[in-house]
Amino acid sequence: MAILQLDKVKKTYGAGHKKVEALKEIDFTAERGDFIAIIGPSGSGKSTFLTIIGGLLTPTSGEVIINNQTMTAMNEKNRSKLRLNEIGFILQASNLVPFLTVADQLRLLDKVKNNNMTKEQLEGLYKDLEIADLRAKYPADLSGGQRQRVAIAKALYSNPSIILADEPTASLDTNLAFEVTDILKRETKSKNTTTIVVTHDMRLINYFDKVYQMEDGVLAEYKEEVLGNE
Amino acid sequence: MFLAWKEMKKNKLRFTLITGVLMLVAFLVFFLSGLATGLQQLNREAVDKWDADAIVLTEESDKSLGLSSMTVQDHEGIDADETAILGQFSAIANNDDEKANISVFGINEDEFLMPEVTDGEKFTKENEVIAGDKLKEDGFAIGDTLSLSGTEAELTIVGFTDNARFHGSPVLYTDLDTFHRVKFGELAEQNSDRINGVVIRTDNVDAIETPEEIEVIGIDTFIENLPGYTEQNLTLNLMIYFLIVISAIIVAIFLYVLTVQKMSMFGVLKAQGISSRYLANSVIAQTFLISFIGVVIGFGLTLLTGAFLPSAVPVSFDMVTMIIYGLIFVVVAIMGAVFSVRTIVKIDPLQAIGG
Repeated sequence: MAILQLDKVKKTYGAGHKKVEALKEIDFTAERGDFIAIIGPSGSGKSTFLTIIGGLLTPTSGEVIINNQTMTAMNEKNRSKLRLNEIGFILQASNLVPFLTVADQLRLLDKVKNNNMTKEQLEGLYKDLEIADLRAKYPADLSGGQRQRVAIAKALYSNPSIILADEPTASLDTNLAFEVTDILKRETKSKNTTTIVVTHDMRLINYFDKVYQMEDGVLAEYKEEVLGNE
Repeated sequence: MFLAWKEMKKNKLRFTLITGVLMLVAFLVFFLSGLATGLQQLNREAVDKWDADAIVLTEESDKSLGLSSMTVQDHEGIDADETAILGQFSAIANNDDEKANISVFGINEDEFLMPEVTDGEKFTKENEVIAGDKLKEDGFAIGDTLSLSGTEAELTIVGFTDNARFHGSPVLYTDLDTFHRVKFGELAEQNSDRINGVVIRTDNVDAIETPEEIEVIGIDTFIENLPGYTEQNLTLNLMIYFLIVISAIIVAIFLYVLTVQKMSMFGVLKAQGISSRYLANSVIAQTFLISFIGVVIGFGLTLLTGAFLPSAVPVSFDMVTMIIYGLIFVVVAIMGAVFSVRTIVKIDPLQAIGG
């Protein structure tokens, strides 16, 4: 059973001659353990795709089903709950709470989520992401790579079904970008979760199990020669 | 509370400043409240000491004790549980070293207006008085001979009593004969039945029957009609209310600016599924903490200041009133946080994460 399923998802902005079809009847499925990249130029609809999966945007038509729950049929309150417990977000600027230490960033999730981690699981997460020594530090005291590792830890907290990452390596240099992607892949596999990464960084595509290309609101499997011709 | 406290802990200077501002406003509110109570006591202390329910004065005096003039025979026509005759006039007392405004109360020794003596003795002979202990602070002592302005009389202080100020002046309690002699001088004999009013203790003020042209006034009404009393209270209370509203505005502005600065952070947290309610509660908790801490420090500072003020400053801290003002202060500050809560609810997580 697919952990994520999109059936004929369409998103249209505006009306009449100003009508823009950001997504054109997209069908998409992802299984547990999938490490997926969505690539494409700016304005192609990849962020719209990600935000619809994340329940932040409602599609004009079609269905989004996450872990057997039809998100598109839910009200905002239930979508928010689903987001909290089933989806982990990683954003490009890491977006950590500036006045919380690394430990407190995770403690906050502990306070608001239903399914909390045990102390042992939490220690394991710190160890896996090599942030155990950073617990008492604030985001301002961390390097870009460290911040992104903490953001990954936040996204992975209490094992969500899906991790959505929007340009998670955009502000990192090449080595750090590889490192962060490597960690994401490792955690996806070890925790058997599903990670969808929106990126325009072509250096990273070899890390992914599946790569899709978004162009003018149409999602298709990526074929290397297509990009090679560009 | 978790987010609220963590943010305050991290940004100590920022929150210390706003707590400091609220503390100063709370201090001012408490101090003005103490001043209002002190000034009230200055006017009504001796009246409260009567522990009475009503006073009978002439209608034409318009509720003014000093302007009311009736006879002892009028008193006999009043049907009430317990009554006490009262004569009153104001003067300047002089013991050769010090001068002070005073109010003379002429009373019957065997009636309930006779005060408890806290130092010295009761008056037993002519020209003896029991003085309000404020006069002791002003340099008067037992055994002092007082001359009163506008009279030839000389009075001797034989004792002091506490809580004895009327309309801002310490009271000299004396017997009715001395009172008549001092007030009317050579005409004392003709006016020996003249009094200003009759103080009453009763369970039912409305049932009191009085002779014509004499009215029964409830004690609260009598106090409210003391010259300047209501105006003074209104002025000080208005200042207190304005200060409380100003503190709410300060909190509202400060929290709104903080919230606007954190909009993108709130958006991201909302995108992660943290509810608007949790974030709004965090702002409310923060407001509660800063206003509560401000009020508690302001409270302590007020009491500390009060302990060092000279006795000439009429402050008196009524704990119940101060606690009520403190609670109102915190509640109104929380109401000031409502703008920020609205802003948080309206934040679109999609915009915040740049979708």
